[in-house]
Amino acid sequence: MATRSQTAAVLLAGALALAACGSGGAQAPAAQSGGKTLVIDTSFDLKTADPGRTYEPTGLIVGKATYETLLTFDGSDVTKPVPALAESYELSDDGKVLTLKLKQGATFADGSPITADDVVFSLTRVRDMKGSPSFLLDGVEVEKTDDTTVTMTSEKANAALPYILPNPALGILNSDVVKENGGTADAQDKAEQYLNANSAGSGPYQIETFNVSSQVVLKANPQYHGDKPAYEKVVIRNVESATQKLNVQRGDSQLALNLSGDQVANMPDTLQVKKTASANVFFLLANQDSEISDVTTNAKFVEAVRKGVDYSGLLELAGEGAARAPGVIPSQILGALPEGEAVQRDVEGAKAALAESGLSNPTVKLEYPTELTVNGLSFQPLAERVQANLKEVGITVDLQPAPVTTALDNYRNGKEEMGLWYWGPDYPDPNVYLAFLPGQLVGERAGWKAGANKELEELGEKAATAIGDDARTQAYQEVQRKLNESGPFVPLIQPSQNIVAATSVTGIEYHPVWQVDVADLGVQ
Amino acid sequence: MRRDPLARKGLLGRLPQAWRQPLAVSGVVIAVAWLVIAVAAPWLAPHDPLAQELPRLAPPGPDHWFGTDQLGRDILSRVMHGARVSIPLTLALVALSLLIGGLLGACAGYFGRWVDETIMRLADLVFAFPTVILAMVVAAALGASLTNAVLAVLVVAWPAYARVTRGLVLGVREREFVLSGRLLGFSAWRSLRVDVLPNVTGPILVLATLDIGTALLLLSGLSFLGLGAKPPSPEWGAMVSSGVEVFDSWWVATFPGLAILTVVLAFNFLGDTLRDALDPRTARAIKERAL
Repeated sequence: MATRSQTAAVLLAGALALAACGSGGAQAPAAQSGGKTLVIDTSFDLKTADPGRTYEPTGLIVGKATYETLLTFDGSDVTKPVPALAESYELSDDGKVLTLKLKQGATFADGSPITADDVVFSLTRVRDMKGSPSFLLDGVEVEKTDDTTVTMTSEKANAALPYILPNPALGILNSDVVKENGGTADAQDKAEQYLNANSAGSGPYQIETFNVSSQVVLKANPQYHGDKPAYEKVVIRNVESATQKLNVQRGDSQLALNLSGDQVANMPDTLQVKKTASANVFFLLANQDSEISDVTTNAKFVEAVRKGVDYSGLLELAGEGAARAPGVIPSQILGALPEGEAVQRDVEGAKAALAESGLSNPTVKLEYPTELTVNGLSFQPLAERVQANLKEVGITVDLQPAPVTTALDNYRNGKEEMGLWYWGPDYPDPNVYLAFLPGQLVGERAGWKAGANKELEELGEKAATAIGDDARTQAYQEVQRKLNESGPFVPLIQPSQNIVAATSVTGIEYHPVWQVDVADLGVQ
Repeated sequence: MRRDPLARKGLLGRLPQAWRQPLAVSGVVIAVAWLVIAVAAPWLAPHDPLAQELPRLAPPGPDHWFGTDQLGRDILSRVMHGARVSIPLTLALVALSLLIGGLLGACAGYFGRWVDETIMRLADLVFAFPTVILAMVVAAALGASLTNAVLAVLVVAWPAYARVTRGLVLGVREREFVLSGRLLGFSAWRSLRVDVLPNVTGPILVLATLDIGTALLLLSGLSFLGLGAKPPSPEWGAMVSSGVEVFDSWWVATFPGLAILTVVLAFNFLGDTLRDALDPRTARAIKERAL
């Protein structure tokens, strides 16, 4: 028996030691930095190379490189969609009909021209396959008007559609090739297997090999109708972040995408570090359901929390490049509040609010997911910092870490008294953030039922149907100001998305939707 | 030629043979040191283990010997306060499993028949599962907290004691002095207490001491996996776990890891020594290698 438990002890010690060492991910293929090969290290979140089913970050990198969309974004500016396969677009005055004129002379990798039929096939396929990105086109009807014109008709005013179209999931496929290989554009579609080994698009790259767990190799599309990309070959490897750092320092890879603020703090001059605030927003939620808590439902309590959090302290944890989130909408998206409007820490004000709330020494449970990192930042230090901040105010926070799946369950069912979560936009349009209103997706998660705040709900409706950039910006800012005054959410920070690269790589820009556009990278 | 160890005078010379081994001495010294730290941590620790006021991730240096963690807490202070969390819990855990396992094992061995069958099959059932996994399942089912982690480890730890005790009691049960006690009218309880117990304590104590290391590792392991101590409690396993996230700052995980290592080693040395001291055959073998 002693041997048994001793064996267990040894095993456990071994496990601890292994974990402490950080297990390296994929084995490195010889990186030929001299040739025109680019090696990118990232922690894979990848399921498929079929754009119609892609919704994972790594999949979007691959999708962006291998397929083209009707509209796209220029560099990292997501406030203005620009033409890609469509040379122009026009939204009707009621916001329901989007008319797109296709560019002439664009061809697929096999040389055949891109037609309106391909567009209709590809987009209806995404919508009707009921894959992860199908919701992007829910209720949108795609029709061919003539050989060069496509109209998209939405049931309701849909000013967000031009901002949705650049998503790599909506890449245009060669309909003939896909149909030959089992593509039926409905739930029975069987083209995924073919598309995981071949590219049927018009993008600057094509898939050479594709393995969802270890690496993806892309080769330049010889028939590409646009400007040739700088790299002949791009290798995307699945590497854990600690190893990513070692690899990029050794010159084994040229790009590392998942390093945390702490990991990039002391990088040598031989590497370039691009730090950009990501579009993910960390926030606290205080449940408004009186069955869950009679502490967090108290409006003054929420005010005390909002004033009690030390936002600059949280920024410090997130590292350089992170930004305050003044409202729930991140800085790069239309309608974001200016940074000057962010709530400032005010311990005295928080104490006063707590006194007014009538609660004495309240204790609340704060739930958050463990083993989940967002832009390399984990939830635990943030939660511990919030706990320490609120202790100064007189609020005792009982931390309740839980594995992601368990925590998500409670969060989605609106069972958390307080929660620390993040929200990343599905597409860079502010209407995504209407989910934070009462009765909407995230609102419900905070126990905030429809009708709980009539004024705010009306503002939300106004914002949803507003047309024109100025009117929309104003409407969404109004919504956020009101949310910051009386909502159950406390927006905290946008962590920094760090890209570390060899100095030979130029044109690095972090993009909120597809992280990096490999075709945009250059060689020095 | 070796010197006769008995010829040596002084403190060491007066100790029993087994305790004069270098390993025994270091085991005692380290264990006592940790006990002192556990008791005196509030006075010894240079900082509040929960205060997030120092520079973040500062490497070990004259201001903070063990460096600081990602929230700017002093790791030396946290390791010291960690002793107050881990060591008492581990000792309590071992004492409890000794009590429960020992009692059940004694009953099984003494009464035999269906009592024996029931208890030992139950023990076999627990043995059939991998220890760590079973403890993880129990801890996960009860919810993450240190108390639950102790309960979880208890569930997997008692059968070892039950088996050993049963075996020893079986050996003593039929001996003349026990039988004569029974004939004199001793109750089962009195017979167990007076005649059997003194003859089985030694080996069980050895097992318990050796088990302290295992129990500490299991407890820290559960905390490492997020099933034990809740943040911000300075528990060693949890500290190692948070250090893994800031891999480049080696000191965050290393020092609590070393704390676990030294405690486990010390108690293993102590357990070995105790075994040597209580087992004359091994003791004779060691005589040759005395200090």
